[in-house]
Amino acid sequence: MSKAMELSGIDKSFNGKPALTNANLEVEWGEVHALLGENGAGKSTIMNVATGVYASDAGDVTLDGKKLKVTGPQMATELGIGMVHQHFRLVTRFTVAENVLLACKDQLGIRTTHEAAEAINAKAAEVGFPVHANAIVGDLSVAEQQRVEILKVLLLGAKIIILDEPTAVLTDQESNTVLEFVRKLAEQGNAVILITHKLREVISYSHRVTVMRGGETVLVGADAENLTAEELAAHMVGEQIMAIEPIDAEPGDVRLHIENLVVPNPIGGVGVEGVDINLRGGEILGIAGVGGNGQQQLADCLMGLADADTGKIELNGDDVTASSVRKRRSDGLRFIPADRSQSGIVPDMTVAENLAMTGVPDGQYGSLMSISRKTMRADAKQAIEDHNIMGASPNRSSRLLSGGNAQKLVLARELRDNLSVLIAHSPTRGLDVKACKTVHTSIKNAVENGAACLLISEDLEEVLSLSTRVAVMSKGIIVGELPMQENTREEVGKLMLGHA
Amino acid sequence: MLNSVVLTRRQKIPLALRASTFVLGLTVGFLVSCVVLLMSGVPLNAIFSEFVYQVFFTSLGQSQTITTATPLILVGLGAAAAMKLRFWNIGIEGQLWFGAMASTWVAINDIGPENIRLPLMMLAAVLAGAFWIAIPVFFKLKYGVNEIIMTLLMTYIAFQLVQHLLFGAWQDPSTSFPVSAHFDEAEKLARLGWGNAYTGIWIALAAGFAMWFLVDRTRFGYYSNAVGLNIVTARSTGLPVTAVIVISVLLSGGLSGLAGAVITSGAEYRLTQFLAHGFTFSGIVIAFVARFNPLGIIVAGLIIGGIYTAGETLKVFYSLSEAVVVLIEGILLLSLLISDFFKTFEVRIRNLKGN
Repeated sequence: MSKAMELSGIDKSFNGKPALTNANLEVEWGEVHALLGENGAGKSTIMNVATGVYASDAGDVTLDGKKLKVTGPQMATELGIGMVHQHFRLVTRFTVAENVLLACKDQLGIRTTHEAAEAINAKAAEVGFPVHANAIVGDLSVAEQQRVEILKVLLLGAKIIILDEPTAVLTDQESNTVLEFVRKLAEQGNAVILITHKLREVISYSHRVTVMRGGETVLVGADAENLTAEELAAHMVGEQIMAIEPIDAEPGDVRLHIENLVVPNPIGGVGVEGVDINLRGGEILGIAGVGGNGQQQLADCLMGLADADTGKIELNGDDVTASSVRKRRSDGLRFIPADRSQSGIVPDMTVAENLAMTGVPDGQYGSLMSISRKTMRADAKQAIEDHNIMGASPNRSSRLLSGGNAQKLVLARELRDNLSVLIAHSPTRGLDVKACKTVHTSIKNAVENGAACLLISEDLEEVLSLSTRVAVMSKGIIVGELPMQENTREEVGKLMLGHA
Repeated sequence: MLNSVVLTRRQKIPLALRASTFVLGLTVGFLVSCVVLLMSGVPLNAIFSEFVYQVFFTSLGQSQTITTATPLILVGLGAAAAMKLRFWNIGIEGQLWFGAMASTWVAINDIGPENIRLPLMMLAAVLAGAFWIAIPVFFKLKYGVNEIIMTLLMTYIAFQLVQHLLFGAWQDPSTSFPVSAHFDEAEKLARLGWGNAYTGIWIALAAGFAMWFLVDRTRFGYYSNAVGLNIVTARSTGLPVTAVIVISVLLSGGLSGLAGAVITSGAEYRLTQFLAHGFTFSGIVIAFVARFNPLGIIVAGLIIGGIYTAGETLKVFYSLSEAVVVLIEGILLLSLLISDFFKTFEVRIRNLKGN
């Protein structure tokens, strides 16, 4: 096989901060080449250099044996490089043909939707996957929309196809369909670069892999076949991250009992449409499912932020359906919200003030007519130490914390004192591997000490690695519940799909 | 070659930068104001002598500035109390009218013994102002009615009510003007014996320090910070969000009402139909300029009071219109807001080398 694209010794810095240092990448024709790395590792930056969005400070770009400078996205398109972005660039109210016409009319010399439809059908037949040219894009599933995006790139003549996290919002089964198609594209002689942070995709669907970390390519063009997930993860984070051990605790008393809970969605759409849950101490019940199937309303209602239409919530045997947030909290219900900066912390208050937020109403920091910032600071200092919150000091603004450390702050506040039931909603969204591990370990420790945890997450990996039981939520109801077994991943995937 | 402007949010804002941007913003605002005044026909030397020297450096000017600043400080505190909680009280004038009406009612009907008449007038004014904002806050919290529209429109209702009274039941029988009867001596705030300045300034200062204590030193202040900065987190951590909003907003109305009583009992000695004019805008400007800090509001109130005092003189001697004074107020606010932008962001111009 010959080389399709070679990037060598690429340096790029922004405002004096290096984003890429001596980065190398070589992709051959006919292969799926995975580009693996955590958020901020430089994956997007190196691809932006390849497609001419950024000019590199140093280094060479060689395309099909010719050394050249890509000066802009337009030139990249002319050279046959196409990028499918993570966030689709489609007009959802338009048909597929209209979208293609919009994106490719000059390059293809087409002027009508009819011509666009012909071009689509011809290309679809050539590469071998069906696309309905006259379907409204908004009516298509996410996976189908992805195909339209890929098709657009192909119609523009791309031979080197870059896919940016194409499976980020897909279910397992949908991901497999997309990835199989990606393999096929490579078999047809194209070069495919698959940007991802999912190890499974690298191992099962890629020929070779380049791993990035902190702006450097720490593993260049290694055979994916010979690598294990642990090895890849170690390259990604620079040290061995051990998989989390299963929970070691016997289920205790029922802590949380939910009966036929119905919660409307204030902006319309799916809410909670009748959910029953029984959760015991020492258990983590994972609620898997594609987002927007009532998870937010379930979490809000449990915490007391949204009212239930009907149904009952019992906490340690007491009916708390109509209780205030404060009452629920003092009864031991705690909350890790999905959106940290929106509902977990007050970014413009200090670390100490944020940590004290649940203690102030209980009079831990002075009476009604006083507030003891000294006690706050002392407590914060302790919490920062205990939870290893990096970059934090009591008087520092919480806005300056990284995502992982902001989440540690939330954990430090929520896990203390008389924790009985923890509602964790997407607790590791947007966090890197190390921070994920810290969060997971904290939750696991709390549960092993007797707490119960309801883990609501769209990240199937997270649900499967942490839970003692898994339930799948779809269209506002629990469509199935499974104990942890070997084949749970597939069963869960089927349930997610069957009702999605 | 492509020039591009790069904005970076500053990680830390040192005190020196904070102070220098504020002073610079104020200076630029004054310079632009000078240009406006020059264009309106005020000679340069007069600007300096009227604006700076007469207002802030002569005894008469100082006393007049303090007199003007007294109700301004109160409405500034009132504006800040609500805005801090993201409740946009655009009806300060309405609440001020209600305060003025309530104090007048107590005064002309001789409610209560004379020795507590003044405190009664103040109390009535606070309650009336709070009542007039209680209606919008109820509708906002219960039904999600937009408070901006509601507080604004309720100002007009209050004003019509004042007119109704002044052209009817409360009209001074001794004149045919639409003003109420004169207050008795026991219903007047004492003069300080320094120009027109009166004891209302002590009320304003006391209110300022009390607000500072409340915001900076009590649990309530901590709550109101959290609710104002992120209401969702405040809710999910179990803070008494609704109570904090209600109390702060009622306080806002109450302070505005108190300003009304201070004007009737300290400056006008009767209810007139112009005494509330312009206080909503000034209150908001003062609160913003001071970043909602109660002690800052006292200072900002004195500065804006000075501008008003200077404006009065300029109006008389150079036949400037009232609009110019409001314009200057607006220019100062804008330049301070712009300086705030440069405080928050670092701006650099960068050459992108095309290839």
